[in-house]
Amino acid sequence: MQHSMISARSSIYRLTGNVPLDIFAVAIHTLQITLDLVISNISYSSGQIFVDFRGFCVIHTNMLLCYVGFVNLQSINTRYIYKDPSVPRLSLWKDGKHTNDYKFFDRRISEIFTISGTGILVHKYLGPIDQGESDDVTRPSYTTQSELNIQDLLFLENRDRKYEENVYRMRGIYQVTDNAFDLTQFGLFLQTGTLFMTFHINDMTNILGRKIMNGDVLELQHLIDYETLDPNLPAALKRFFVVSDCTRAAEGYSPTWWPHLWRCKINPLVDSQEYKDILNRIQVSDEDPTPIADILSTYQQYVDINDAVVLQSETEIPESGYDTSGIYHRSFDSETPDFAVRGYLSGSAVPPNGLPSTAGISFPDNPEIGQYHLRTDYLPNRLFRFDGNRWTKISDDERTNITSNSADNKTLRNSFITNDKTFRDVRGNTQPEKQNLNDILKPKADN
Amino acid sequence: MSSFFYSGQIRRFLQQFIRVLNNFEVDLGKNREGFRTLLRVPIYYGDSSRQVATIIARNSENSMPSVPAMSVYVSGFKYDRPRLQEPNFVSKLQVRQRAYDPVTGEFTSYQGDLLTVERLMPVPYLLTLKVDIWTSNTDQKLQLLEQIAVLFNPSLELQNSDSYVDWTSLSYITLIDSEFTNRSVPIGTEEPIDVATLTFELPVWLSPPAKVKRQGVIHKILASVYDASGTIDQENNTFDIAASLFATRKIYTPIDLNVVYLGNTLALYVNESDIEFDDGSIPPMRPGDWTVAIRSFGELSGQGNVDLLTNGLSQVRLENDGNTVVGTVAYHPTDVNLLIYNVDTDTMPINTLSPVTAIIDPKTITVDSNLLNPVYGTRYLILNPIGHYDNDDGDPATLDGAPVWNRIGQPQLIANANDIIEWDGTKWSVSFDSQITITIEYVTNLTTGVQYKWKNNQWSKSVEGRYGVGAWSFVPN
Repeated sequence: MQHSMISARSSIYRLTGNVPLDIFAVAIHTLQITLDLVISNISYSSGQIFVDFRGFCVIHTNMLLCYVGFVNLQSINTRYIYKDPSVPRLSLWKDGKHTNDYKFFDRRISEIFTISGTGILVHKYLGPIDQGESDDVTRPSYTTQSELNIQDLLFLENRDRKYEENVYRMRGIYQVTDNAFDLTQFGLFLQTGTLFMTFHINDMTNILGRKIMNGDVLELQHLIDYETLDPNLPAALKRFFVVSDCTRAAEGYSPTWWPHLWRCKINPLVDSQEYKDILNRIQVSDEDPTPIADILSTYQQYVDINDAVVLQSETEIPESGYDTSGIYHRSFDSETPDFAVRGYLSGSAVPPNGLPSTAGISFPDNPEIGQYHLRTDYLPNRLFRFDGNRWTKISDDERTNITSNSADNKTLRNSFITNDKTFRDVRGNTQPEKQNLNDILKPKADN
Repeated sequence: MSSFFYSGQIRRFLQQFIRVLNNFEVDLGKNREGFRTLLRVPIYYGDSSRQVATIIARNSENSMPSVPAMSVYVSGFKYDRPRLQEPNFVSKLQVRQRAYDPVTGEFTSYQGDLLTVERLMPVPYLLTLKVDIWTSNTDQKLQLLEQIAVLFNPSLELQNSDSYVDWTSLSYITLIDSEFTNRSVPIGTEEPIDVATLTFELPVWLSPPAKVKRQGVIHKILASVYDASGTIDQENNTFDIAASLFATRKIYTPIDLNVVYLGNTLALYVNESDIEFDDGSIPPMRPGDWTVAIRSFGELSGQGNVDLLTNGLSQVRLENDGNTVVGTVAYHPTDVNLLIYNVDTDTMPINTLSPVTAIIDPKTITVDSNLLNPVYGTRYLILNPIGHYDNDDGDPATLDGAPVWNRIGQPQLIANANDIIEWDGTKWSVSFDSQITITIEYVTNLTTGVQYKWKNNQWSKSVEGRYGVGAWSFVPN
């Protein structure tokens, strides 16, 4: 049908003859409703009604099929229609100019979007967020906010994206398809989640100031989910897509050869660094300042799952090595045994049999015989016992939490990784101990 | 009888593996307010069920997967034949546990079970794990890889338990392969998520259940129960099975511990050597602590953290040359080395000799009317000899020796130290001759009420003294 419309010639047609009034009424009504400006003239003379209209028509059996815009006027019988030979042939291409024909089509197409398109909220991409001055020229700092800026000239990516706070309302049309979930190692993904949505170019540029581009985020209002599994969510789940590609739509070319439609490939949005500026800024409602990321994203649930697994692993093995605290140390001459279980990573800061001890960076004065004391200035901490004459070593606190990067992980590696210590340089400035090797010898500011 | 067993050994390795890759962060850069954010990257099991994945997504298409994220899953599990060891080997381990208090949920400082753990040779397996790292940009990926990569140089130790008796708990993770991205370059028209994959290998051991038994280890041989002919020696009644109270009472015979009964106290001493000779010599000892010793006896079944010694009710039994002296004990209020010992006098040894009036030293005793005019039947245990054959001049009309012990016309009193002399109304004579008596005799001093025992050619208090290993026992109640 679309092809017929393109190949048909635009002419002036006249609807006339001894047409029954009811047919005329229908025809005129249809034309007036759908083709108001197409009708160039309506007259009545000698019991006949003359309706001149413009359109692309082809003869099909005894019907005249006319297409104006996308409306098929099949209801008009060809017996009452003839082609006015007095009207000259038309050309819709006018040397690259946007003719009235173009405007005529464009308005019709725009109207179609108004009539049948779905509401889209567009979060307009403004360019990368300025990361401040850097001595890395591949990560430049821009003085102006622009979509033309590129955040990382090496990897050619914009990671920290800025979006306009205003949201633009638009209309778009796409083919609704059935979706299936793809279960991946990272959870559920929509297998056919990619959509192709068309927009009216002129409307788009009028509203947005530019064409929709890769990185713009769209909210499809009609896909909001009010019936989620979690009744405690403070709001319904909105549906966001991100534009990944846009081109002129093949079906969006009118007979004037000018394009009217902008076709965008859009993918479901994921909660990633690139879209934090949207997801962390939009509140679930005017009353609830919770960012929508908190209810849309699965992040917190996976973090909770992660925490549960780690908590269980830490419960089962609080520290590296072997727990000898349940082993009884037999000693009859004193309440405080003077030995501990020996073994690979079995040393502990806790005295044998769980007996009490003191701790400090020096030995206490006037100790009692059998007293335990943990020297915390030793690394690892060392447990001593006073035998009346001397402090004898019982064990070294060799065991440690082995959860990566945890604060109480005392492994050698972690002492380099989670190191918050500082030192004073010769200028008296406080410097962090933890520094990257490539930066250590670089000159530093005195202030 | 069920043959089922499952202790979640691989599951625990997976949990610990996730723990290793926990807490990694990525720098998200500055937001529009200029604040930099570090985002923790969750890691979770990658082979979830579809239903749980749906639940996490709240059964909505609108839920957003979060990136960056890491997932771990098992990609290989095969028998590791090169690590095969003697499959029938059984390792035995003796364990002395601290008592567990079910009320507080903590170990007490008392001794609990004594266990023997038998462990069958575990089976070697090679576990291969893959970690997928999903990032939304290259910078994120490099941040994560740089942090994770320095963990493995080349390996990282991993445990699936911290049990001292679990000889299979220790393994190590080796990074054996890595794939920077699952996407092909150039990327083309497709838009797959960008996933880097690290492959790890863990040599693990899988163990069948262990056998746990009450400990049957003999810590120390206290005495031989057999005589020279190989039959059970019950001469000293130490191992009188018929008289055993094991069936009704729990009796502890501590090893390495000696008690010294003195006055109304029992002092505790610990052998400093594991070797004790049966020649009567006293081994080197040092003072001990009764509270510790009692605690080491363990706990009554189901009564964790309850002291076994009940003041005034618990007993200590002293094995004394065939006699068992029984007395109740109580903690000394100030000295942990002592127990107050209240002997049941009915259990004291029966006197084999008539009581003595007193114990005297004839060299230093003051002569008074009691000596000069003794009551009939007066008996003295003397600490030094009296008289000498050289004093006898052969004339019965003259007094031979000291007048206090002799009478004219009567034979001279000649007694040795440790003898008992007795006044029969006309003269002093030796009633108990220490030179010829080799049997064990008991006699009570009427002056002090203390009973003495004649043994090994000397007098000593009958039940006071040292009770060595195996010669005393403790009865809680």
